[in-house]
Amino acid sequence: MIEPAALLLASTLALATPLLFAALGELVHERAGVVNIGIEGLMLIGALAGMVGCHLTQSPFLGLCAACAASALAGGLFGVWVVWLDASQIVAGAALNILAVGVTGVAYRAIFGVTGAALAVPTFEPLTLGTDNADFVLLAPLRQDVLVYLALALVPLVWLVLFRTRLGLRLRAVGEAPDAAASVGIPVARMRWGAIIAGATLAGVGGAYLSLAYSNTFAEGMSSGRGFIALAIVVFGRWHPLGVLAGALLFGGATALQFDLQARSVAVSYHLMLMLPYVLTLVVLVFAGGGSGAPAALGQPRGAHDEGG
Amino acid sequence: MPRPTLLAWLATLLVLTGGCTRGEESSGFRVALLSPGPISDAGWNAAAYEGLLAIAAELDAGTSQVETRTPPEFEEAFRDYARRGFALVIGHGFEFQDAAAAVAPDFPTTVFLTTSGNTVRPNVAPIVFRLEEATFVLGDLAARMAPDGKICAVGGMEIPSVRSTFLAFEAGARYGRPDYPVTISYIGSWDDIGSARTAALALIDNGCRFVLHNADAAGPGVFQAAAQRDVYAFGSNRAQHEVNPRAVLASAVIDIPRAFVDVATQVKQGTFRSRVIERTMADGSISVVYNPLLTHVIPDEIRAAVDATEQAVRTRVITVPTAEF
Repeated sequence: MIEPAALLLASTLALATPLLFAALGELVHERAGVVNIGIEGLMLIGALAGMVGCHLTQSPFLGLCAACAASALAGGLFGVWVVWLDASQIVAGAALNILAVGVTGVAYRAIFGVTGAALAVPTFEPLTLGTDNADFVLLAPLRQDVLVYLALALVPLVWLVLFRTRLGLRLRAVGEAPDAAASVGIPVARMRWGAIIAGATLAGVGGAYLSLAYSNTFAEGMSSGRGFIALAIVVFGRWHPLGVLAGALLFGGATALQFDLQARSVAVSYHLMLMLPYVLTLVVLVFAGGGSGAPAALGQPRGAHDEGG
Repeated sequence: MPRPTLLAWLATLLVLTGGCTRGEESSGFRVALLSPGPISDAGWNAAAYEGLLAIAAELDAGTSQVETRTPPEFEEAFRDYARRGFALVIGHGFEFQDAAAAVAPDFPTTVFLTTSGNTVRPNVAPIVFRLEEATFVLGDLAARMAPDGKICAVGGMEIPSVRSTFLAFEAGARYGRPDYPVTISYIGSWDDIGSARTAALALIDNGCRFVLHNADAAGPGVFQAAAQRDVYAFGSNRAQHEVNPRAVLASAVIDIPRAFVDVATQVKQGTFRSRVIERTMADGSISVVYNPLLTHVIPDEIRAAVDATEQAVRTRVITVPTAEF
């Protein structure tokens, strides 16, 4: 009973990791009052840039750096639209998603050939924890690659920055009441720029996890809706890092569980199994109750122009 | 201020259309391909695109390709190409046959070909690739190498062409070994590598020693899981050992380009007649391709026995089961 649970926990952590990166990225955006529904596109860009970077340097760490740079750049484009030009955040996010599908597809085909390449780049490998004995199953949840640990470490770090630093207080003020924040001298536009770049980078790391840990290659559309799940997880987690962690673990856990049940040949239609994570998330959302806790100025366009310099 | 987003939409449109159509200026014999996924998947869709390129090269045909994901898109694309006078339009998958049958009566001079399916009309025909002949052989190989173990398969969605390959994989494992355990999981997607990896890990952790995939672009996730747990995986549709040289022991391979060129030649010459076109191991369209870097892990006597099974399948001494289409 304990061994299957250990393996299930290991799968849960691996499934939650890209969701956690992406959802923390969105959380940072939204706490500054910016809705970015382009997280899916940013993940796709991170996945491709990570793979290309790793292919060129043969180092997954440098691939990860490439993913950060590329997604930060794409985040910068989003920032130009919503901060400088005051465009609708929803339209800009949707455009970012569509742009990312097109750009990653064309770039991948341009670099590696139209029919795709049999690429095998080096990947982030699970830590051995000083013992190579894979039979010791109870250690399975700990036998993860370094990015899983990084994602988990980011949860308290994001909490600390948001709720225990001056920077975090100012960021949240911008998300709750930008006009009031501006009146006391907080540079609203600059805060939002920072949140967008930091959040986009996190989403890109989540994307790179798909191409550098889940697999050793890139596939068009490989983000498979994870960016949209991340949006839901932020709402589910009530805009709090711990809530986001709970949401990512719940979704990852339900996904891991249904694959485990399928692997045990449980006689239930696989369609129902695949629904499990979505149904469970909805049910918890319905029964968790309570106020929403969304930042008050979320999604409201407000650019540099009314700061008065 | 909507201008920047409008620009982005235009840029995207430009990029997308630029990536989709090319080389259809020739006014003569023209062939179009509707792929259900990206042609860069190094698998099912990539092989179809290679078939289209082969048609262009060998038959001097104008060609066009478009990615279509939903039934309304299938029908629209079929109609669009037929209206523009394409002689042959290929819908690459089982899921295209309803759309082909719906559009075909309006365009009697265009041939609608679907890869897999059972719908035959005067100008609609399916090519059925008996890929299950190869997965039967892989099932036999896996069960011989793991006589006390379990084997498994990960599928994208449960469509007849996928179910057939898994049924035959199971039958191959049980060839002379009744009750040999085979487990199958589906991930509900053709591109979700993360789900494919998790499904394969769960199967391997429940005792599976060999994993076959039939999930198109999600397949590399299965290979990654196999590599991390030190078991072997089987590729499908194309020889996929280069995707993961240390995990992919062999692949069940379809020669899609050859079959496409054959049909296109008949259409061009006017000798094409509508029917279910079967492509099998016997005509060389289906084969098992081994990873040259891993042949040493298969003991000689097992390889000899599996080669004998393959010969028996090719000559129809063994009847390979197939799913209802």
